[in-house]
Amino acid sequence: MAESRDSPDPAGHDSDGGSEELVLTPAQLIRSLEQAWLNEKFAPELLESKAEVVECVMEQLEHMESNLKRVKGVDLKVGIHRMEIERIRYVLSSYLRCRLGKIEKFFPHVLEKEKSRADGDPSILSPEEFAFAKEYMANTESYLKSVALKHMPPNLQKVDLLQAVPRPNLDSFVFLRVLERQENVLVEPEADEQREYTIDLEEGSQHLIRYKTIAPLVASGAVQLI
Amino acid sequence: MGGAPWAVPVPVPIPPAAPGMDPAEAEFLAEKELVTIVPNFSLDRIYLIGGDLGPFNPGLPMEVPLWLAINLKQRQKCRLIPPEWMDVEKLEAIRDQERKEDTFTPMPSPYYMELTKLLLNYASDNIPRADEIRTLVKDTWDTRIAKLRLSADSFVRQQEAHAKLDNLTLMEINTTGTFLTQALDHMYKLRTSLQPGESAQSQDF
Repeated sequence: MAESRDSPDPAGHDSDGGSEELVLTPAQLIRSLEQAWLNEKFAPELLESKAEVVECVMEQLEHMESNLKRVKGVDLKVGIHRMEIERIRYVLSSYLRCRLGKIEKFFPHVLEKEKSRADGDPSILSPEEFAFAKEYMANTESYLKSVALKHMPPNLQKVDLLQAVPRPNLDSFVFLRVLERQENVLVEPEADEQREYTIDLEEGSQHLIRYKTIAPLVASGAVQLI
Repeated sequence: MGGAPWAVPVPVPIPPAAPGMDPAEAEFLAEKELVTIVPNFSLDRIYLIGGDLGPFNPGLPMEVPLWLAINLKQRQKCRLIPPEWMDVEKLEAIRDQERKEDTFTPMPSPYYMELTKLLLNYASDNIPRADEIRTLVKDTWDTRIAKLRLSADSFVRQQEAHAKLDNLTLMEINTTGTFLTQALDHMYKLRTSLQPGESAQSQDF
């Protein structure tokens, strides 16, 4: 009897994944998860939520896991698949943990940004993250109130979290690799005596530069933070 | 007297993931590189999520990602073939050029350090003159890191806003990167807080 293949046929993946406009192969999907992971690691602010990528990766992992359950014996093959699953799972958890860390660190600003974004703009929080952020904020407020604020004189019982919690520092430096050639990227020096100048970013080159000017390039995928 | 809000430092919990990248994560990325192995078992084609591998035939060289190669080697299921740049003469030439030039020489692999460490750790029996190779790669690394330290120093001193670092590998960037970017951040905060009329926007630390 022909042994059933214990892994999904890559070509048959197309119709999964719901809202993806682009049809990605599983390999491309994993690649874009890794890119999102690296960008999120090195960016000083919370980046756009890549919920579709996360969802598709989870689907792939579940699909593979259920295939593996069906196969009996064949230790080596199963072992290799499991190793790959663990590796992908690590990237996924690290990505989500990184985002949660930033949400906890910048929660009032993150919520403010989400509240004030225009309808067409992409969301920076997934629905679950949004619920988490709101709950975190409510918990912090009630904690501060019950531990300190209610013991203060009545006219000093307010805390403006937007002011109290530090903003992400968009002027921090980041390392990046250029994926798509860019022309005339502005470099703003901080000392007033130096004037701004523009540089061209060659494909494949690596740079150290302030995050603020290249933030849109990270969002569009033209550069990769390293 | 108005109800001015308190500027209470909100307790910052320990972030679940450390910022920047640690060497283990750089190694994790390097483990995706393809290396040549000669398996001693047979297995038909496997369809991983990241791509297809195999089929595995005993005695026939084939390429697999490093993470799998190391695992198979540890289980004594294959022999590793060192990459063609992992050769004493070639590495000597690279080391000499690195010492001669002020700029960074392009390295034969963007993950030369991780590949050397992993292959020499787990498969030194498959690599001729392993000790010499280890020393040569370490010498080259030391030279490059010293150069990197010098250019990072002048970058900070001259308050540069941009640097091009084409021939640096990820491991080198990560070794100095987090320290350098945090140092630059601190310098920036110190400098901008000297400007008068700065509104009460608190930046932490």
